[in-house]
Amino acid sequence: MTTLEATGAGGSVPAVAPRSGVVHFIGDVRAYWRLLIRGAALLMVTLGIYRFWLNTDIRRFLWSNTEVTGHTLEYTGTARELLLGFLIAIAILVPLNVAFFILMLVVGLAEFAGVLSFALLTLFGHFAIYRARRYRLTRTIYRGVRCHQTGSAARYAIYAMFWWTLNILSLGLMYPLMAAALERFKMRNTYFGNLGGRFEGSAGSLFVRGFLMWLVVIAPLVAGVMLSFTVIDWYAWLAAAKGGADAFENLDVHTLAGVVVLVAALFWPVIAALVLYPVFQAMIWRWWVSGLRFGEVSITSRLRTGQVYRIYLRFFGYVFAFSIVAGIMLSMLYGIVTGISTLFVKPTDSNADEVASIIGGVVALGSYVVMALGFSTIYQAVVRLGLWRLISESLDISNISALDHVSAAGIPSSAVGEGLADALNMGGL
Amino acid sequence: MTTVGTAVYFDGKTSARHDVRVEVTPAALRVLSPEGAVVAEWGYDEIEPLSSPDHVLRIGKRNNPSLERLEVHDPQLATAIDDLSVPVDRSGLTERRGRRKVIGWSIAATASLFMMAVFGVPEIANRLAPFMPYGFDRKLGEAVDAQVRGSLDPRGGGGEFECGNADAEKPGRAAFDKMVGQLARAAGLPFQLRVVVIRKSDANAFALPGGYIYVHQGLVQKSERPDELAGVIAHEIGHVANRDGTRSALQAAGLSFLFGMLLGDFVGGGAVILATNAILKNSYSRDVEADADAYAVKLMAKVGGDPRALGTILQRIVGTHSGVRILLDHPETKDRVTAINLMTPPGPVRPLLDPKEWAALRRVCGQ
Repeated sequence: MTTLEATGAGGSVPAVAPRSGVVHFIGDVRAYWRLLIRGAALLMVTLGIYRFWLNTDIRRFLWSNTEVTGHTLEYTGTARELLLGFLIAIAILVPLNVAFFILMLVVGLAEFAGVLSFALLTLFGHFAIYRARRYRLTRTIYRGVRCHQTGSAARYAIYAMFWWTLNILSLGLMYPLMAAALERFKMRNTYFGNLGGRFEGSAGSLFVRGFLMWLVVIAPLVAGVMLSFTVIDWYAWLAAAKGGADAFENLDVHTLAGVVVLVAALFWPVIAALVLYPVFQAMIWRWWVSGLRFGEVSITSRLRTGQVYRIYLRFFGYVFAFSIVAGIMLSMLYGIVTGISTLFVKPTDSNADEVASIIGGVVALGSYVVMALGFSTIYQAVVRLGLWRLISESLDISNISALDHVSAAGIPSSAVGEGLADALNMGGL
Repeated sequence: MTTVGTAVYFDGKTSARHDVRVEVTPAALRVLSPEGAVVAEWGYDEIEPLSSPDHVLRIGKRNNPSLERLEVHDPQLATAIDDLSVPVDRSGLTERRGRRKVIGWSIAATASLFMMAVFGVPEIANRLAPFMPYGFDRKLGEAVDAQVRGSLDPRGGGGEFECGNADAEKPGRAAFDKMVGQLARAAGLPFQLRVVVIRKSDANAFALPGGYIYVHQGLVQKSERPDELAGVIAHEIGHVANRDGTRSALQAAGLSFLFGMLLGDFVGGGAVILATNAILKNSYSRDVEADADAYAVKLMAKVGGDPRALGTILQRIVGTHSGVRILLDHPETKDRVTAINLMTPPGPVRPLLDPKEWAALRRVCGQ
């Protein structure tokens, strides 16, 4: 009923019947693990050069195993393009970096350098994110038709900076407005062939749903800080902090209580945000998906918060198990290497300390790399894939037949945005 | 031999699905509409395999601006196409061969970069440092100094962090400045030295580019004679005069370009932090230390002090304290002491400070 009328034929050919629910993930999770583990090992020995190939493999896997109305998506990007994009980004950023460093030394802007470089990097980062999105969209093919993105990345970067500043100044209260505004910008420039997208999610509805969560996270912080400011005798406190341990005994109870409240208030948002993050994520995804439109096509999501929590619990389980196993293996390795080294260098030799510290340093660095790559692999396999799967399978699409007669449009864009995002450490998927 | 089967075809002009019949003839792959009209005819060498799920063969035409796609679900048909077309290789052999090449060369590139980092970067930094203007040392020193103070003195004590500002400490400061003044005049550097004692209990001292030298209170207390302290300061002046900090900053910058960029790291202010870390933590090489020792011996001889005193305090610190890193980040203390003694010219020596001044200097941090 979706596509057969296209040629007015199909009688002789049995169509692949779409199952209930329009989006399915059909990939083999074990194959994904294999891909990621092999990729992590290669990242380690190539000091990261392999990432262009790994990222391309990951996208190919996710795209080609995601089936919409019986047809899988196709990712046509190549590692070679990503590498080229990265090289171009380096060619742009290295001279900028050098110029900035020299300027800082010559003009003596050391105090502002941090702020200035942060602002510049953020601006560049948003620019890169928008351009990278364009690259990914133009490499996404569905039924022989390309997606693409219009709009100026520079304008987006300024727009995004403006909204992020407002958002931070308002302690996150403006988040719904920002998210809706930025998403409208992105989606009205997004196309599947000649079918234009738009975003109709309202900031108000997100605000209503998220306000309670904001109160839980931020209100204790504000209240705690304000309370502590009124009760702490700051002069006495500063004097005590300078004077050492004995001086604390002379402080009055109010000041001590105020300090405890202040510390608790500062820690609270971090803990609350960690615990509530899956709720937030599920809420944002549902809101975002439900706001997406492509012509007549609209989407809703049946994503449940509990499902997102389960993903994170699994993630922590895997991380825990991995940490124990890797910890045991790395300390055994350290023992073996140290044992072997004593065959060559006697503990009484004058350079024994040096050898031991070099071995210790190398093992520590290696352990750090192994752990970091291990965690990121687990994250990719459990959280990224888990969310991708959950979200895509939770989708309900109405007026889906509008996707059957879309005309091709758009041309592939360069991967410079991806390269910039990579060089700036802001790369996404 | 012609294999016939069904497949799904997209013409690249619209998203409409076309259920088609496919004929795999020896000459070409023919795509036929149900009515029997030829929709497409591809030579086997023109076919391009595209990414798809495992159970589907997705192919297109190479160098085709339009995104024509043929999706074959029928395993027999897919095998027939695979057999005839060279570019289509469902066993993944071609892919693996290409990938092995990538991996091999990436590892080779990594090895090259690593060798470059270990041998090339220090060499380049050594060659480049003499060409840097002294203004660079000064500016670099200022930037790093701010960082160092931040990390050594997190509470921002400022004047209290440095010894010699309180009234009781003023005579000590005067004696210290007298000692430093003698060394500085003899050194004759093109910029001013800025030597201070700071309230840190470990026996240590370190130099930043551009003439910033920090002497820890612990070192003053460990010194038994003025010339021992002066020897260490002369050693640090040697680092400044040899521009070792600038060299190591150049080295750090080179390393951050090599690895930071490759690993996708780009932070403008990070260069300063890197340089700070490099100067604070990076162990100077044995040659750099030996050069600074030689400089110290010459300088001490020039002001008439005892160059051997440097060796004496080195031995004492190493003997009693293992946490000394920057001053003594090198195991061969014995060799250094021997070298210092060998370099020392014969002749009478006279302490840089008289006993009264030395007693005052010992109290530069109070008590």
